[in-house]
Amino acid sequence: MLCCWLGLGLQAHAGDNAVPPVDFNRDVRPIFNQHCVACHGGVKQAGGLSFVYSDSVLDLIDPGSWEDSYLLERVLLPVDDDEHMPPIEHGRALNEAEIDVLKRWIDGGGEWGKHWAYVVPELGELPESETDDWSRTRTDRFVLEKMNQHGLSPQVEAAPEKWLRRASLDLTGLPPTPDQVDGFLALVRRDGEDAYRAATEDLLASPAFGERWASVWLDVIRYADSRGLGLDGRRTIWQFRDWVIRAFNDDMPYDAFTVRQLAGDLLPDRTLDDLLATACHRTTQTNEEGGTDDETFRTEAVMDRVNTTWQAWQGLSFGCVQCHSHPYDPIEHKEYYEFLAFFNNTADSDLGNDLPTLAVPADPDQYDLAFQLDQQADALWRAEWQLARELIKDDQNWKPISDLQLSTNNNTRVVAETVDGTEEYQTTGTVQTKTRVHINARIDDSIDQISALRFTGFPKDQQQALIDSEWGFIVSHLTAKLVATDGTETAIEFQKVISDEPDPLLDPDESLNAKSSRGFGPYSRIHHPRTAAFLADPPVAVQPGDRLDVEIVFNDVELGAFPLIAHRGRISLSNSAGFTDWLTDPARVAARDQIAELRGQRSKIRSISTPILLERYPDFARPSRVFDRGNQMTKTDPVDPAIPKFLAPSSGEASAAESESSLTRLDMARWLVSPENPLTARVAVNRFWAQLFGTGIVETQEDFGIAGAPPTHPELLDDLAVRFRTEMGWSVKTLLRELVLSATYRQSGQADPQRLQADPSGQWLSRGPRDRLPAETIRDQALFIAGLLSEKRFGPPVHPPLPEGVWKPFQGGDKWATVGKDHPDRYRRTIYTYTKRTIPYPMMASFDAPSREFCSVRRLPSNTPIQALMTLNDATFVEAAEAFADRMIAAGDDIQAQLRYGFRLATCRVPEDAEADAISELYHSVLKLEDGEKPDVHAAMTTVASVLLNLDEVLTK
Amino acid sequence: MSGMEQRLVSEAARRTLEFETRRHFLKQSATGLGAAWLASQTAGATSIGGTPITAKAKRVIFLHMIGAPSQLELFDHKPALEKVDGKDCPAEYLEGSQFAFIQGTPKMLGPRYPFGQHGDCGAWVSDRLPHFSKVVDKVCFVKSMQTDQFNHGPAQLMVHCGQARVGYPSIGSWVTWGLGSDNEDLPGFIVLLSGGRQPRVGKALWSSGFLPSVYQGVQCRSKGDPVLNVSNPQGVSRDQRRMALDTLDRLNQMNYETFGDPETLTRMKQYELAFRMQTAVPDAMDISQETKQTHEEYGTEPGKESFANNCLLARRLAERGVRFIQLFDWGWDSHGTNEGESLGKGLSRKCEQVDRPMTALLRDLERRGMLEDTLVIWSGEFGRTSMAENRGGQKTRFHGRDHNPNAFTLWMAGGGIQPGMTYGATDELGYQIAESPVHLRDFHATLQHLLGIDHRKMVFPFQGLDQKLTGVKPARVVEEILA
Repeated sequence: MLCCWLGLGLQAHAGDNAVPPVDFNRDVRPIFNQHCVACHGGVKQAGGLSFVYSDSVLDLIDPGSWEDSYLLERVLLPVDDDEHMPPIEHGRALNEAEIDVLKRWIDGGGEWGKHWAYVVPELGELPESETDDWSRTRTDRFVLEKMNQHGLSPQVEAAPEKWLRRASLDLTGLPPTPDQVDGFLALVRRDGEDAYRAATEDLLASPAFGERWASVWLDVIRYADSRGLGLDGRRTIWQFRDWVIRAFNDDMPYDAFTVRQLAGDLLPDRTLDDLLATACHRTTQTNEEGGTDDETFRTEAVMDRVNTTWQAWQGLSFGCVQCHSHPYDPIEHKEYYEFLAFFNNTADSDLGNDLPTLAVPADPDQYDLAFQLDQQADALWRAEWQLARELIKDDQNWKPISDLQLSTNNNTRVVAETVDGTEEYQTTGTVQTKTRVHINARIDDSIDQISALRFTGFPKDQQQALIDSEWGFIVSHLTAKLVATDGTETAIEFQKVISDEPDPLLDPDESLNAKSSRGFGPYSRIHHPRTAAFLADPPVAVQPGDRLDVEIVFNDVELGAFPLIAHRGRISLSNSAGFTDWLTDPARVAARDQIAELRGQRSKIRSISTPILLERYPDFARPSRVFDRGNQMTKTDPVDPAIPKFLAPSSGEASAAESESSLTRLDMARWLVSPENPLTARVAVNRFWAQLFGTGIVETQEDFGIAGAPPTHPELLDDLAVRFRTEMGWSVKTLLRELVLSATYRQSGQADPQRLQADPSGQWLSRGPRDRLPAETIRDQALFIAGLLSEKRFGPPVHPPLPEGVWKPFQGGDKWATVGKDHPDRYRRTIYTYTKRTIPYPMMASFDAPSREFCSVRRLPSNTPIQALMTLNDATFVEAAEAFADRMIAAGDDIQAQLRYGFRLATCRVPEDAEADAISELYHSVLKLEDGEKPDVHAAMTTVASVLLNLDEVLTK
Repeated sequence: MSGMEQRLVSEAARRTLEFETRRHFLKQSATGLGAAWLASQTAGATSIGGTPITAKAKRVIFLHMIGAPSQLELFDHKPALEKVDGKDCPAEYLEGSQFAFIQGTPKMLGPRYPFGQHGDCGAWVSDRLPHFSKVVDKVCFVKSMQTDQFNHGPAQLMVHCGQARVGYPSIGSWVTWGLGSDNEDLPGFIVLLSGGRQPRVGKALWSSGFLPSVYQGVQCRSKGDPVLNVSNPQGVSRDQRRMALDTLDRLNQMNYETFGDPETLTRMKQYELAFRMQTAVPDAMDISQETKQTHEEYGTEPGKESFANNCLLARRLAERGVRFIQLFDWGWDSHGTNEGESLGKGLSRKCEQVDRPMTALLRDLERRGMLEDTLVIWSGEFGRTSMAENRGGQKTRFHGRDHNPNAFTLWMAGGGIQPGMTYGATDELGYQIAESPVHLRDFHATLQHLLGIDHRKMVFPFQGLDQKLTGVKPARVVEEILA
């Protein structure tokens, strides 16, 4: 099969007298791929040689002289020579044509050609055709040229109502109403082409547009309303789904759409909407199963973010580079981890509560107000925190306690050890949950009063924890008192806990609340020693001989298994008046009051917590390393964030970037949408194209790499990609407008035998698209035709009818609450249906929707009896058929008129006589079934309605 | 064929295949699409050697005990463990080990039940499985099973999809993709659940992953519709449905004549198939047709959701040519944190629920001459530790064991498996493999071999890799246990 298409490339030129120049990608690379890459590829690089990388191969040739090229020397050896390449046991020797290509390639200078997709696209050269009276857009001219090359000609134009139905379903996911069809037909008669434009504008402006196109993106970005993996509990993240819908409706340019989702949190002038956008990568799975390691699954999530980013924006499978260099594309193993480093320092860590989250107002109109309040309060707090933090960091303010007398309340053992000259407690052996560490210690003589206590928790192995973090700790509660020599006890009243990061995931002041198990600490993993100061007011005077008595309570248990306890802890005391000032100075008090006031106002804005991306506080960054063969348990070389070399901007810019501080996630996002990126626009254009035409210009939408399918219309793809980025300004609506108005799109879907023969899969676009509708559209359309579809938009996920016994969630409390037939939430658009990863909505699953565990860029359509049973018997379709029947019956007194109206509602066209006869006969046959009883008009009409909803024509666009 | 060549060819072939897929559903009778595709691959190959494998098994019944039954209380007889009961766990067992719940230094836990030797083969079985003890001569025990995963979700995925993550095809999908089904009116891959709960990763365990979605497992149920939507809506008679489908067919035919889309013809066939399924599925699922004697042997009660009912259903589906029948029985996670999940009453109750029906299934298949070409597999997702669980650093309320990915026991019977043998062994405390380790990928290779499939060649190109059930690490067919 391969030989065939190889041969084609060469044959095309066989008739020419002049030998055409060798094209590396067309002529040479296929030879390498077929004969060399299996042993000398990205994974296996026998003899250190790889035919994936140019420098490796260029060492083997002497450009300009094949006679002096080692490559040819080995290839030209006798077949039975041990040194002959390829070794005969691995495959046949190169044939003459292939050898000729290599010789001419080397003689011509041996230029290495980049794979087409890695070269920045340029505007296509518009094909000239004098006889072209068909094309309406640039696109059509490219399409027509290919059609002609394949001996095909355009199909006739589809009837206007057919185009309107197709465009409506494609752009809004809903069919037009009979009134809309009539109106359109009248306008076409009056205005001709302008009617098409006007109709397209209406469809693009419809709020249904965003609901239709958001579905496509939610597959790509693996959106679900549940967490996946172990328990698959509910996750409240639907405000992100609404963000995507609004983004499409507002025609947010694709570059902004990209940058906001990947790095909205890092934008210098970020808004609440930008922060919400970053929930895009918080749709990764988390594992809440008892006994699962948060770090393992945090890492899995980060890898998924890397793989999804590449798949979604670059159309490349980056996942294989996790374990080894890419087998076919020039991506090295280490580069995976350099790219992973862009994502490795977000604050989330597989926590069951989805932290960090953002309180997103229920009403988007309040986003700005809420964000303003947040920003004011945050800025004030950061300033206050900084003041306290300076005092805490200054070791001169602190004296360690000594002579530690230790005990616990349970089987956990603690011992005192001196490390670096300071006494600390350390746990030994098996650690029990809910441990209280009790410390009685000597106070340094210089401490005459206690204004603050500083607790520092350390990892067990400080060096190793930077590489493999340990389970962290939470100080659930900390109390301290002075014990005088006579036994008198004086409690120290702590007022405030200041953490070593300004905005930790958990409120450190919770450490002062005996009833809460939350509080200060590295939650839930520790890489670095972590410090908090407990500020006392009033300061407590210390008499000579007084000892300090501290109890630290560690009550939190992660995932039912891992006690979050500090395995090593040190305490110091301060007598600095600075802390007292910080607590009592009127300016400080006023600032804190103001913060409280702002936070109070903010909390009055009704909001819902949505998980978002935020960077960790820089002091506690996680170092990134290569995982040996993809195994996160074995980490090797440290890495810094970087773009893989084969796509990186030209070396000058790269080194400029390197010389400054390290690259950020924002830099990465901006690189994706920069003019130098060869893939982003192509991949995006191809995805939109595939939604309209059924197949992408690159059929393997998921793989633009060397192993993917080559584009059927390379010049068209590049032309659209360049124009999408430049003249269209990344506007999705502009792109779609051009495509649905093209002559290519407007062709009839009719496939005569000759067309089927010459173009079975329709890749040469010699007929209009005729594909089965996506799952969402099939359901939405049925409800729409029936007059049931609710126009309510946005909001929490809904629970339409589900067959009995399907809903068996792992967590018993997770209810599927279906509302009655009088409630609109029963009939909302499918995009609002609750998406649980382990229990996909049956309608969606049977019509090929992915279950959203991972990025999925195309749905492979199936055609099964399970689908037939769904649209015939499922509760939603039964209710739709009944309501549709009512609608027909209400349309008039004449049965034939009712039936014809129903046919129009379903198909957007007037039935042919034979079609009208068929449904009429069915109606009357069912009526007759009830012999003896009163004929059941409604049952008969419902049967007709069900048939109409199941028509191939209705399930297809 | 070189790897690259094969890959490029396979991309092209896959495209054709996807096109073909749209017009197939369970219609491939003797040969599946995968087989057809592989054949097309081999025809053009230059360097694929070896002889074709003869299929010994035509179908598979896989009994998965969800939660991981304790091999130390059922099949893996460890007298030495008895002697160290209550002692601290040796340090070498803990080095480099990751546990779900065990903390620090746990205590060893001796077997909770007496063992005896049974049958001519002298296999060890504890007193919890008195019925099963009588059929051990039909069975091959593999006591040296290993996996990479120590949490349930990922480990169950490892067993069924060969990967610890969701999104990969399950064995049943691979097999039906490769071999098709022998019954046009029933799905080729059917899933039956018991024990009151779904496995935690749910449908992912019978997902078709990146294979075409028609190859996903279809869950059949003892209660409600046996297959979703297989019953007509209330008030719609079969005659009425027939009339509707006749009209639908007529209209679709007209539509086909206008547009000439082959997909329309396929859809027309699918509606006919759906109509036939509406009788075939309920018929297959109706165990009330069975004799009283059969019900007694299995311990079945029609209308209930039970492992016993599912065993009997498995036989009925196997008789009808269903290729892969997957049973999941919930409730084997004996941590000891509550009585239901303890090695005491909890495990005893689960054993009572499965002992009789799984024994009856083997006997019944044998009586009907089906055991020889039906592969029956019984397994958990990993084993349990030789140490007592000490969740949260304290003794659990009941006797329990934590998860042990290093060693577990699986048994197989029929379908080309050597009967009456035991393969592999654990160390004297039953914690690690002492001889002949069998990783799950070796098990997958062996299972495919029994079905006549070479695991190295059953590949599907996806995300830049020729994906296999056995993954990228080397896997071997365990020849020693083949009949």
